[in-house]
Amino acid sequence: MREGLTAVSPGLIALGIWGVVTGVAMVKAGLTETQAIAMSLLVYAGSAQLTSLPLMAADAPIWLIFAAGIIVNLRFLIFGAALHPFFRDLSWRKRLFLGYLSVDVSFIVFMPRFADAPKKGTLEQHWFFIGTILPAWLVWQAASMLGIALGAIVPVSWSLEFGAVLALMAMMLPHITSRAVFVSVVASGLTAWLTQLWPLRLGLLAAVVVGIVAGMWTEKLSKPKVKR
Amino acid sequence: MAQSEYLYTAIILLALCTAICRAGYFLFGHHIPLPEGLRSALRYAPLAALTGIVIPELLPWHPVDGPQVDLRLLAAAIAIGVFLWTRNGFLLIVSGMGALWFSRWVFGL
Repeated sequence: MREGLTAVSPGLIALGIWGVVTGVAMVKAGLTETQAIAMSLLVYAGSAQLTSLPLMAADAPIWLIFAAGIIVNLRFLIFGAALHPFFRDLSWRKRLFLGYLSVDVSFIVFMPRFADAPKKGTLEQHWFFIGTILPAWLVWQAASMLGIALGAIVPVSWSLEFGAVLALMAMMLPHITSRAVFVSVVASGLTAWLTQLWPLRLGLLAAVVVGIVAGMWTEKLSKPKVKR
Repeated sequence: MAQSEYLYTAIILLALCTAICRAGYFLFGHHIPLPEGLRSALRYAPLAALTGIVIPELLPWHPVDGPQVDLRLLAAAIAIGVFLWTRNGFLLIVSGMGALWFSRWVFGL
């Protein structure tokens, strides 16, 4: 467990910053402190929280908020598929608990270490994983609460909600590592810009569809070469 | 911002999103294969969705006056520049906020 904590600690700093920014953003978007605390404890997913705030502020339909939440969380489905062999023998309660609390940083430190392990599902691996998710949960919640408290004090004129947009950008930029992803982002950005007056913020769905198509299309065209 | 019933419904559904995506494979992994084609499509979806949220915030489009440009775009451009230079997400946020405040002060807004 201690090894997990050691491995995850650099990631905890980044997590703390997201937490504060997300806490501030929830309050600045108009949530009461109780609602913001409930959201932090129940949803526990920064990108989904930050994504949903402009949608809530625009009174977007509930199903679109749900769909957007699923889409930005899709990466966890892929993480989950990779992690599943390590936890398949546990009881369903433990699998639900560990899955629900798994975050990006835990995946990022766990996989390089154990991906090639000859035996999957050892006690060492389980405790390492727990050593990453529990500190991450504690840091995130503490940072969010701090942000919620700050959000109530800091005046609107500081535009701290812009920090949420910047945080989303900081989340996105490191992943734009290939031409296909770049094309996908440009295409979805253009779509999002042109469709933003569509009712119910449905332009978001259009942006996702165009982004996926553009990305896969570029990937297909540049198949022979392996891009960085 | 809408009433609390709407917000709590949204919060509970978002919690469900977290549970489905994070614990879905942990719980039902034996039964759900993830074909390669779908997997590669899913790779592009999260970034496209985040872009779809960020762009209207940076480049809003007014129903009557058309596309709007303000200092937030300038601040975002500076923040991206700082990130490309330093590869540091924290500095991106700090420089972006700083650029927004500074440019507002310079232009007296």
